[in-house]
Amino acid sequence: MTEAAYLPGVAYDEMFAPGGAVRSHYDPLHARMSTLGGDELADRQQTLERSFLLQGITFTVYGGESTTERIIPTDLFPRIIPANEWAQIEAGLTQRLLALNLFLDDIYGDQQILMDGVVPRELVLGAPSYRREMQHLYVPHKSYANVCGSDLIRCQDGQFAVLEDNLRVPSGVSYMLANRDAAKRTFPGTYRAAGVRPVERYPDLLLATLKSMSPEWRPNPQVVVLTPGVYNSAYYEHAYLARLMGVPLVEGRDLVVHDNMVYMRTTTGIRRVDVIYRRVDDDFIDPLTFRRDSSLGAAGLFNAYRAGNVVICNAPGTGVADDKAVYAYVPEIIKYYLGEDAILPNIETFLCREPTQLGYVLANLDKLVVKAVGASGGYGMLVGPHATQKEREDFAIAIKADPENYIAQPTIQLSTAPCLVDGRIEPRHVDLRPFILSGEKTIVTPGALTRVALKRGSLVVNSSQGGGSKDTWVLADDHNAQGASPGNGATRP
Amino acid sequence: MMLARVADSLYWLGRYIERAEHLSRLSSVMLNATLDQTDSGVQAVWIALSAVGEPEMSSAIGSFEAAEALVLDRSDHNSVVSSLSRARENARQVRDQITTETWERLNLLYLKVTDENAKRDFADGSTSFLHDVIADLHLFKGAADTTMSHGESWRFMMLGMYLERAQLVSRLLEVCFAETPGRQINDHIALVSLLRMACALEPYLRVYTAEIEPRHILEFLVFDEDFPRSIRFATSQIEANLSVLARRAGGDGAGAGPERIAGRLKARLQFADINELENQGAGALLTTVVNECARIHEAIYETFVAYPLEMRLPA
Repeated sequence: MTEAAYLPGVAYDEMFAPGGAVRSHYDPLHARMSTLGGDELADRQQTLERSFLLQGITFTVYGGESTTERIIPTDLFPRIIPANEWAQIEAGLTQRLLALNLFLDDIYGDQQILMDGVVPRELVLGAPSYRREMQHLYVPHKSYANVCGSDLIRCQDGQFAVLEDNLRVPSGVSYMLANRDAAKRTFPGTYRAAGVRPVERYPDLLLATLKSMSPEWRPNPQVVVLTPGVYNSAYYEHAYLARLMGVPLVEGRDLVVHDNMVYMRTTTGIRRVDVIYRRVDDDFIDPLTFRRDSSLGAAGLFNAYRAGNVVICNAPGTGVADDKAVYAYVPEIIKYYLGEDAILPNIETFLCREPTQLGYVLANLDKLVVKAVGASGGYGMLVGPHATQKEREDFAIAIKADPENYIAQPTIQLSTAPCLVDGRIEPRHVDLRPFILSGEKTIVTPGALTRVALKRGSLVVNSSQGGGSKDTWVLADDHNAQGASPGNGATRP
Repeated sequence: MMLARVADSLYWLGRYIERAEHLSRLSSVMLNATLDQTDSGVQAVWIALSAVGEPEMSSAIGSFEAAEALVLDRSDHNSVVSSLSRARENARQVRDQITTETWERLNLLYLKVTDENAKRDFADGSTSFLHDVIADLHLFKGAADTTMSHGESWRFMMLGMYLERAQLVSRLLEVCFAETPGRQINDHIALVSLLRMACALEPYLRVYTAEIEPRHILEFLVFDEDFPRSIRFATSQIEANLSVLARRAGGDGAGAGPERIAGRLKARLQFADINELENQGAGALLTTVVNECARIHEAIYETFVAYPLEMRLPA
């Protein structure tokens, strides 16, 4: 690889400091990359893709005769995060999830935070993701969001910030594990030399988290993973987690609710279910309580949950805490419950519902990223600087028609990392999705899914929009020994 | 303990795998037989196509095209590619139940037969294409056997596989030896082709030497105790797997449990012999096997998968 070919832009580059020096935590990888020729890189990329295809880590592209399987593009080079930076991320995420769970407990309890006027009442109670049915329901350990996947980005100044919290049914953890598996095979020597913290314990920690949500009087709880089925785009992940946890993968039609107890149909009769790790959205888990046209859930499930006979993870209604408008208030939420400043900052957010902020947004559409509050996956989004005049005008009309539905943020130049694109090593924008488990304990997995915007200059990393991913190495120790990284399992106070 | 839906998928996985292998072999033998422009070749084609219920197919479109359709026609639900697609679809639904080693074998094969170049590969060398498909299916079975626990999951898969096998072999023999079609196969080369279609040529030779006779073929493929593709062997496997599964289910012993039907069928094959078969006509027994297998299939469904809930709910 020649450095001359690699031209980082104005964004923070993960590998190169301004001026072209290699950041010290990238040294071993950079050295390895320099010794590999183009053919060898292409070979390894091919081997990697083949292994994903073989494992079935694919999505299906339907087209009559030519139904084909595609893998989610995966990049060869890991992204590396030094121990001292990870320590801040870990502390920040733990703090944030703790506060958001307390927020949910409050919102679905006495609503003190609304009475104190910290978050506007109508913003919370009017959110489509707010579930009145959850009001005054006991949730063990006050852990509403047991699995959280937050989206972090690194800004131009090198600081990490939270772009989005995902507290509903976050996905991607199987890619984190599959990418790790692949990276170990691709760069075994570099991996060993770098001292990377393992992520392989995620499945058993997830199982422990889920079990910790079951009441004490069910000492050996039956855990299941609830999937919408084989046609869901994340089905691979559902099956993967069920397999690695050793628990049944169920669909709605496998469940029977009788006398407020949940059972699954087995070959030897029905069997009680205690904890459901559901990968089905709130709306679809119970046609009696939520959407009546859903066939993905089980009729009566929510009543069984209310009766305390089954635990649903994540709890229904967690979406109100990752609402894109509520997001703007998370720093205040942290302050309110924990009396601390947020360790990981938010991105500055303009709420179009506020008339003054709306004016600013409309006047600066060419500089801002506008997002629909209810949408996700990179849909319903305008990246102002990259949009055409026409697109901006259309969006302005939509915003004016329904200002409450939109927020805007400055266009952040996400950091870039080296990626193999068409046989060349080029900088591409990346984000970072770590996974946090919260049951009896809060555990930040020392690793993450790094999502990559594969199109040159693109800032959109979502896989539905042509994004890819790469492995993320969290180092156990920095070479200049800035202290050992904190261990797992920060216990909740 | 396993989910009823999962048991059903594993059962079908076994069936589709067996079907794909059988069809691949029929196609392969058929294509080989047509290389010689003889009447034997014509007979072999007729046997293969009659066994899949399409005796007229070769005269309509030619035997290469017929084989290609049997293997690669996605619109035909009984083709190899359709069977493998369904096998994989079922495997995907129970991905948490089968080992990675087993899954990868099937997935690899699926990717091969659904590849956009599959048609070209088949045309370039249909014999080696089919040889590879069959070898891959053997690898799948081997991987399942050596890496999966031989518990419930595996037994449901075996159940599907042997039921399908018993039915397919019966059907193949029916085509050749049942009285009704009035077309007894006597030609030496056609009979060798028949043995090849049942993957039985070499084991047969070891027992009967190169004297290829309909009577011996029938005896071997129906009654042989040790040959894994004989009907007797298959039914005894069906019975063995079912009795373990039924015992684990702790059934109430009432009604026509599938293990009872299987037990009767097994006993019948165990205690009959070739003289009896010849006296009564092969067709009757073969038809019985096919029908009883269908009954076992239904009983499995009623006992393990779609049982009425009322009986099983706590009071």
